[in-house]
Amino acid sequence: MTRLGLWLAALLVGTAVSATAQVLPEQPISLAGGHVVFGGEVTATIAPPDPGFFNYTSYEYSAIRNLRFSVSGEVRVNDRVQLLGEVRLDQGRVFEAYGLFVRVRPFPSRRFDLQAGRIPPTFGALSRTSYGSSNILIGQPLAYQYLTSIRADALPATADDLLRMRGRGWLSNFQVGNLAPGPGLPLVNTSRWDTGIQAHGVTGIVDWTGSITAGSLSDPRFHDNNRGRQVAGRAVVRPIAAVAIGVSASRGEWLDRTLQDQVAGATGDRTRQTAFGGDLEYSSGPFLVRGEVIRSMWQLPVFGNLHLEDPLVAISSLIEGRYKIAPGVYAALRGDRLDFSKIHAPRGIVEWEAQTWRIETGLGYSLTRNIMFKGSYQRNGRDGGRVRKDSMLVGQVVYWF
Amino acid sequence: MVLKSLGALLGVLLVWLPAAGTVEARQSGGVRGRLDIRRLAKTVERRPDLATSAAAPRDVPDLRRGVVYLETAPRSAFDEREPGRAAMDQRNETFVPHVLAVMVGTVVDFPNSDRIYHNVFSLSRAKRFDLGRYAAGRSKGVVMDRPGVVRVLCEIHSHMNAFILVFNHPFFDVTDAEGRFELPALPAGTYTVVGWYEGEARVTRPVVVPPSGWADIDLVVP
Repeated sequence: MTRLGLWLAALLVGTAVSATAQVLPEQPISLAGGHVVFGGEVTATIAPPDPGFFNYTSYEYSAIRNLRFSVSGEVRVNDRVQLLGEVRLDQGRVFEAYGLFVRVRPFPSRRFDLQAGRIPPTFGALSRTSYGSSNILIGQPLAYQYLTSIRADALPATADDLLRMRGRGWLSNFQVGNLAPGPGLPLVNTSRWDTGIQAHGVTGIVDWTGSITAGSLSDPRFHDNNRGRQVAGRAVVRPIAAVAIGVSASRGEWLDRTLQDQVAGATGDRTRQTAFGGDLEYSSGPFLVRGEVIRSMWQLPVFGNLHLEDPLVAISSLIEGRYKIAPGVYAALRGDRLDFSKIHAPRGIVEWEAQTWRIETGLGYSLTRNIMFKGSYQRNGRDGGRVRKDSMLVGQVVYWF
Repeated sequence: MVLKSLGALLGVLLVWLPAAGTVEARQSGGVRGRLDIRRLAKTVERRPDLATSAAAPRDVPDLRRGVVYLETAPRSAFDEREPGRAAMDQRNETFVPHVLAVMVGTVVDFPNSDRIYHNVFSLSRAKRFDLGRYAAGRSKGVVMDRPGVVRVLCEIHSHMNAFILVFNHPFFDVTDAEGRFELPALPAGTYTVVGWYEGEARVTRPVVVPPSGWADIDLVVP
């Protein structure tokens, strides 16, 4: 985070403390008789350096050294049509239109809608953890943030070339395609939203979502970068209020078109990412427990000396819980790990990426309903890369309205 | 908003002070009238939640009601009383009623009449509590043991909010849909009547209560 960012973060903390005077809005801003509604979130996250790049969402940006302003807006044209959007300022300086889409409710009395544009993620139970107010801890789940070594615009020339990048997803480089170092892909990328159409409905105890988008689960796109489409679906069943059981699936082309052309003739359908997820949530009284398992498979084209018949597999396993100690105070714990499939290489049978794990525990304190302080201790580890273990204390202030 | 709430809290706390010297007789009269709310507060909108669509329709809270109470109460108001019981329902993602006024010691029940989870909580100084998540058909109660304004919220649904005003004396009334109120059984004397609306004491007026019969007073919240 820049010096300016740190100053702004300090300012936010000061503002938060003095906000008992409620200089800041407490509720969404409603205009034009409720036809236009704005909400916002400011998240300041402070952490020491992360030499292992465990929390980076790219080479430059760490999810836990960030000052983020986000404003979401909703224009309710009528009962059937809404226009929704969100803009973000990350690191105190990187501006992005995160989402912008139209939502159509063909039957206003039914819980069914269609969305088109840059739409929210379909896959996974924890896609909103990049929002400070939706995350019980500070770090993001590894599946949604940790960068593996593979890239959409570059391919390893050999199995050894792939293994050379184990544990270096924050700045990966390969010998085919884009030769410049760049960030790899997470299993599920929620730092950008994909572009396409989405249908969502609630039928009895089942909440379902389906979408067709331009990018892939690991690489959501504003502009399509290949000829493929991602098809994704999610269903959540709530047999009782305390329990939510979810399943997710996604399949889409993940490799950039220029790279496909470069290894033309050998790609076929071997540039697809296929992912499945299952999740469970139980909550009652002061307890909340969630678990999610995701299996992602990236198929690589066979070309030159790269002969990986089986797809590269990554499996994410996560469990997290929260317990409310007192009104406005809670404790939380998350255990999270990534495992990877093995490939045959001259050096033996080895996981194609370094197995990675994270334990994070912390406390949350709500000063008011919409101002929250969080502090956590995070310990990361992996069996590859230059830095294999990393521990840190992280602090966060979240204000939202 | 918090400053306003604190102001309201102070206003309510003032009722601790018996109005000694202003009570002229033991005969009983009362104050009645109308709290005229000229501009109704806006309903709290849902946050624009881009990731959660297909939201269920919800009820609009009844924002027409205020509370009228005595700023200072006669000494007899502080006699020992049996704690009462009141309820604030959670129905169609709305607290019903939106405003509740009770005496200190009252147990307020929060039944969940929705098919979804709610999590009632308050971080107000008068009462901090968090009832956690509980399902339809269940109810949890909270003893309101200090006078003041308790802002009631739901952790899961940010648009759900309500107020509970906790008094140390019985001289208060939640207005009806037309704004009418009655504060009966008051000893004759001079009092200050307060009109409260949506988190703050908006209007105060002195009133002289006769030995018998009603003192009529209309209060206007601009």
